[in-house]
Amino acid sequence: MAGVSASHLIIFIASMMVAASVVGVFTDSVGQLSNAIEDQGVDVSSDVRSDIEIISDSGSSAVYNSSGNDNITLHVKNTGSSTLPARGDQIDVLVDGMYQTDVTVTLLGGADTWQQGEVVRIAISRQLNPGDHRVKLIVNGDEEVFEFRT
Amino acid sequence: MGFSVSGSAAIVFAGMFIAFGMFHTATTNGFERVSEAQEDRTDRTLAQQNTAIDVTSATWDSIDGELTVTVNNTGASSLAVSEVDLLANNSYVSGYATSVDGDSETDLWLPQEQLTITVASLNDDPGRIKFVTGTGVADSTTTEVV
Repeated sequence: MAGVSASHLIIFIASMMVAASVVGVFTDSVGQLSNAIEDQGVDVSSDVRSDIEIISDSGSSAVYNSSGNDNITLHVKNTGSSTLPARGDQIDVLVDGMYQTDVTVTLLGGADTWQQGEVVRIAISRQLNPGDHRVKLIVNGDEEVFEFRT
Repeated sequence: MGFSVSGSAAIVFAGMFIAFGMFHTATTNGFERVSEAQEDRTDRTLAQQNTAIDVTSATWDSIDGELTVTVNNTGASSLAVSEVDLLANNSYVSGYATSVDGDSETDLWLPQEQLTITVASLNDDPGRIKFVTGTGVADSTTTEVV
């Protein structure tokens, strides 16, 4: 009789351990999934809040080479509701489909951060031949295209 | 045997309950955050659609070296004077004087009111200007020398 009780106790403990380990793995997986979903929510809301507008005057002859050092000068306004990073390495710039790395971003109008309504000047160092050109800017998933003539 | 089954079932159910709680919190937070951002974007788009401006004149006074730009708010939304931007031949201009229907202190630029911008910092006639509102709605024109 004592042998039966002992074996029941062993089976009971074993089943508890199995159930606890199953629950442990399950809650851990769901926890990781929840964190991922929360991160994705933050990312998506940040993308939705980001909005920029290239306000440069495409009809002006001063878009390219205005200072005489083969720079493309663009003015970009933050028309979204989030503060954007005003750094060259945080903004993807493509000129005629070619990725540009020599990009300088300057905040204008005495602003400290690129908040809603603020404008930055983006100077892209790139030699261009006479003709039609297009610049694509990507900030926080928001894409804008600017076309001009040199 | 009976205790083993019911005990482990209780543990599994408790675990599932906790897991559901975690998952529910995460999805609700994420959903709320995205919904708020979308509502915000809808509001911004509505404000943008209700914005319309008309640059009525841009004159360069060659004697005083002053650029005067007059813009009418022809839309239905009120705009902020502090959020407008002016580009003179693709060069950003700041530190100019503004007045809305003669009031130089106000920041509100209401529908059917006229905004006058006077720029004294330029040396030459820029030739063309571009005016941009806070919502990104823009208008451009060439300057007239007087």
